[in-house]
Amino acid sequence: MIPIDTIPPVCRSLTLHCPVEHAFRTFTNAISSWWPLDTHAIDRGRARSAVFEPGVGGRLFERWDDGSEHDWGRVTVWEPPVRVVFDWQPNRERAAPTEVEVRFTPRGEETVVELEHRGWERLGEEGISARGSYEQGWVGVLDRYARAAGGA
Amino acid sequence: MDAYVCLDALGDPTRRAIFERLRRGPAAVGELARGLPVSRPAVSQHLRVLREAGLVRDRPSGARRVYSVAPEGLAELRAYVEGFWADALDAFAAAAERSPAEEEETS
Repeated sequence: MIPIDTIPPVCRSLTLHCPVEHAFRTFTNAISSWWPLDTHAIDRGRARSAVFEPGVGGRLFERWDDGSEHDWGRVTVWEPPVRVVFDWQPNRERAAPTEVEVRFTPRGEETVVELEHRGWERLGEEGISARGSYEQGWVGVLDRYARAAGGA
Repeated sequence: MDAYVCLDALGDPTRRAIFERLRRGPAAVGELARGLPVSRPAVSQHLRVLREAGLVRDRPSGARRVYSVAPEGLAELRAYVEGFWADALDAFAAAAERSPAEEEETS
């Protein structure tokens, strides 16, 4: 059996020279000012803006040139300015039991930002329905991005 | 072998089911087919796609071939996810440090 820890969470960390409130607000409310839609979008040709709605239940989505909205996920934890957690499911045709947690920790005049994309261990807990359909986690979630980005 | 081919291979629900079954342990084609609502030849075809994507490998076991997950395929996918967030966070960091940290009242 493949041990669960062969697919551990993806973790990334960075330190910013700005206050924690600014870091949190930039990541969330101001996502449209930085999210790289030309490489990270369900349809990078049509995506025009990224939106991060605040509060639990807030949607993350991209808006296309025709105004249509295409969801990436939904906020499950909203704790400004130190923590936000959201489900990650850009391709809604498939179940996506993965989530992303971003923590903002003040350190003097700086802010440490830590992102964790987890939930892959749930791959081992899903089975095949009686109708033979199967919902996968992160792999299904990311294939649309791989297509949009033109491959790794 | 690249992540795009891996993800394309796993874009099919039956292939994902096969891959998920193999994560629980190696299996021969017959065993895999018994657990799925598709024919044995279909399972063989799916396994070929997964093998060509570098996600599974096979070895002879008597008259059968036994399939198992190829960990290097998973590693490549993981690297893709790492890169996805690395690029996104680079853009975030640049924006956060570029814009004035004036506190506006927002929700």
